[in-house]
Amino acid sequence: MLLGIDVGGTFTDGAVVADGKVISVVKIPTSHDNLLKGILQAIDQVVEAVGSCNFSRIALSTTIVTNALIEGTLDEIGLCIIPGPGMDIKFILPIEPYILSGYIDHRGREVASPAQEEVQAACQHFAACKVFAVSGKFSVRNPSGELSVVAWIEKQASVEHITVGSEVSGSLNFLRRTNSAYYNAAVWRHFNDFANAVTAALEARGIHAPVYVLKADGGTLPLLTARNYPVEGIFTGPAASVLGIMAMHPTKVPSVSLDIGGTTTDIALWQDGVPLFTEGGVKVNGHPTALRGFRLKSVGVGGDSLICCEEGQIRIKPMRLGPAMAVGGLHPTVADAMIVAEKSHFGNVNLAIDAMKRVATHGQTPLEVANLVLHEAVRVICHGIKEMLVEQAAEPVYCVKDIVHDRKLDIKQIIGVGGCAAGLVPLVASKLGLAYQLPKQGMVANAIGAAVARPTVDITLRVDTVEGFYTVAELGIKKKLPWQNFTLADAKELAEEHLAKLATIRGIPLGESEMLQSEEFNVIQGFTTKGKIISCRLQVKPGVLFNDKEGV
Amino acid sequence: MDVKKLGLVFFPAFDWAISSTHPEREERLLYTRDQIIEEGLLDLPNIREYKPTMATYQDIERVHIGVPDIASLITDAHLVSAGGAITAADGVMRREVERAFALVRPPGHHAMRVVHGTRGFCAINIEAIMVEHLRKAYGVRKVAIVDTDVHHGDGTQDIFYHDADTLFISFHQDGRTLYPGTGFTDEMGSPMAMGTTINIPLPPGTTDEGLHEVLDHLIMPILADFKPDIIINSAGQDNHYSDPLANMAITAQGYARLADKLKADIGVLEGGYSIESALPYVNVGIILAMAGLDYGKVIEPDLHKCPLQTRAVKNYINHLVKERQEMWAKREKLKGEAVAKAGDFWTRSRSIYYDDSGIEEQQIENLRLCPKCSGYLTLGTEARALSFGYKSAFAAVISREACFPCRQSAIDAVHKAKRQGKYQQYYIQNKYEDKLEKI
Repeated sequence: MLLGIDVGGTFTDGAVVADGKVISVVKIPTSHDNLLKGILQAIDQVVEAVGSCNFSRIALSTTIVTNALIEGTLDEIGLCIIPGPGMDIKFILPIEPYILSGYIDHRGREVASPAQEEVQAACQHFAACKVFAVSGKFSVRNPSGELSVVAWIEKQASVEHITVGSEVSGSLNFLRRTNSAYYNAAVWRHFNDFANAVTAALEARGIHAPVYVLKADGGTLPLLTARNYPVEGIFTGPAASVLGIMAMHPTKVPSVSLDIGGTTTDIALWQDGVPLFTEGGVKVNGHPTALRGFRLKSVGVGGDSLICCEEGQIRIKPMRLGPAMAVGGLHPTVADAMIVAEKSHFGNVNLAIDAMKRVATHGQTPLEVANLVLHEAVRVICHGIKEMLVEQAAEPVYCVKDIVHDRKLDIKQIIGVGGCAAGLVPLVASKLGLAYQLPKQGMVANAIGAAVARPTVDITLRVDTVEGFYTVAELGIKKKLPWQNFTLADAKELAEEHLAKLATIRGIPLGESEMLQSEEFNVIQGFTTKGKIISCRLQVKPGVLFNDKEGV
Repeated sequence: MDVKKLGLVFFPAFDWAISSTHPEREERLLYTRDQIIEEGLLDLPNIREYKPTMATYQDIERVHIGVPDIASLITDAHLVSAGGAITAADGVMRREVERAFALVRPPGHHAMRVVHGTRGFCAINIEAIMVEHLRKAYGVRKVAIVDTDVHHGDGTQDIFYHDADTLFISFHQDGRTLYPGTGFTDEMGSPMAMGTTINIPLPPGTTDEGLHEVLDHLIMPILADFKPDIIINSAGQDNHYSDPLANMAITAQGYARLADKLKADIGVLEGGYSIESALPYVNVGIILAMAGLDYGKVIEPDLHKCPLQTRAVKNYINHLVKERQEMWAKREKLKGEAVAKAGDFWTRSRSIYYDDSGIEEQQIENLRLCPKCSGYLTLGTEARALSFGYKSAFAAVISREACFPCRQSAIDAVHKAKRQGKYQQYYIQNKYEDKLEKI
């Protein structure tokens, strides 16, 4: 039995999946003041329903990290950066960093090393801090500078945790890695307190299943590992529902998925059976990070979205003032319109009709108003889908063949999940002239997704045969190449080896791996080929667990 | 939508090379890509990255006459790099961005009006194609092109040599010491366009100091006088002290300050083959400067290798600036004299060498100096090369604003030449009707 819990803005959902079948679901209101309370309540209800607490895994998708950011319960962090020459990023980081000297160039050569006395000064400057983040430019090409600074800080100050930039991401982008490292460190304590509470509460209940945390890229991490990489657990709600779709409705057809919830609709694009990812990474508090996540767009339409009439026009507001009037709310909502138009069947129809009357003008009937509301909701969602497709088509590519053979996404179907999907998705599909699917249990797609999401991890291996080294940033490795004439195939093999190593360290079963990116360039100096630069990024393939024992 | 400071069309063409060890190869912008991405430049709110479109043959034939046709002389990569320049221009003209930089390859500034093959790594002139697109799509008239590549932009000069609405300024390492061996001070434009071609041949060893002397006291004042509707920078980066193909001493700071002062509306990458030591830093410097950001910390790791400027170079440059200032001041007088001397027609014959393909071209131009319009041009071209033997063509070029008699005379000239049958191919490049016709 796999248990998944997803804490959303409105509801905390739970789902139990056994041998690929959903055997129990629960939905309870989210306890905003104490997330854990709601989580435990969901677990207790599930245990009661299935009559056992013998889970093989519990996976959590929570807003704990997001809430820490929103509520500003962030730790004070000693952020040390080694920027070398180049763009000055001092003023665009979330906090003011301490700048250390030292310099790695784009080939991973150390041009200047960091100075220990500067690190001492930095530790004095951050005397009040127990948690640090260290990030250096081109540290993914040579982590030595970062690692020296970390060692000096550990010697100097009584630190509880240090987040290292090259460990957080093996991809180029110093700005994003620095932001990732900062936020990881800043939520570290908050997350660990939560992890302690979860562990204690489960123990008290006699539940011994290993706990995993969902990541924004749809993979999971063991809680023990997540304690060091807590920022990975941000924005997992939409990822959970995307995974849920993968589990409930696997499809190879190019698709759009819509998760229509309380106040938002999350749109994702699908190609070859997998959702598309963002380039670079997700934004946290407006700062670009290296955290990999699905390419998602949220538009402000959901069942509880407030509706009103402005200058004779029906408008949908991107906010919630409570539930639908049909179920005792005080303000008219999109769900009320769905009830009046007979697209949904719950609550008190007469109260929903009253809601429509509230926003009616010029003697419109409640049904006319309801249709106008739905029309507007569909318009906003369709606009979001179109914008997303335009953005996708405009994504830069760097090879001639990718421009000539432009792989335009030719969407064939819509997959709808979430509380209000059944009412709106058929209308959206008909407006766009597409087929649609409404998977059963779509109301708790997110919890199902969390339950079955595979554990994942990825590494970036870069080989520079001219310099004679290879690096695996995530493992802090820069080593001499075992031999000179390295090929892409050799690099892939070496990458597999290191992926297995990292998976072991992070407590992740290896499973099937896949290549995310690979490139190979000849290095030519003075008209002679001197060697190659090869890089590849490999990951334990994300996806859905079919067997209860598989991902543990 | 808010207007961003800089549009960046980045297209490194990672799957295209002239040949595997040629300087114009897959790896050329690899380290630049690494530096741009690592710095996080593409994530800045003031920069918008664009995906290039592909240029059409009509875009290209607004500028070029390919013999026997342009399609057989170029690859898809050329369509993308020209398309990238057009994408940059569109971003600026649609006011999505304040300025734009097409950091694309392959380059174009050695490609002339007539194309028989690739010369100086260039097959089609991506700036010229962009300029003609600006005129056709947006009605832009006065254009200034400042070519800051170390090599003379002989292709761009050729294309706009008779066009008084296009100011072409090129500084470069003196043609007596470097390919293509042209770009001397006496190449100033044909009579009606006299003074709108300005060459500034600099001595080997010119540093940032010398370059900015030229910029501050010559180029910027000339631009202020000319009052262009748009400024384009042919942003070659091979004046860098580490460039393997030239002998200048400009740094990334020198280039970034140049971009900052010039404030070009559109920059287009040209040459630059110090792909590891110069391009990553020069491009970051230019991008930051064009985006209005601080570039003061962009410094090459081996800056100590940059030579200092000698007194002789400084004196030479001071003298050159003075001489060119005087020439610019009396351009109207020079134009009057040249027009009077030429009479109804101006003629020039040249040989043009294609270093990449070993083609020797002989070209004769005959330009009608019309008192009512910008006239028309006829040209005869004969090319010889081991690769293809002999190719020849005769063409007439009708300008956008040609008067009726000039249009008719140009067409007649081509038909007459065809009857005489000396050439293999006959073309009318009719800019008035925006088409290239094969007769």
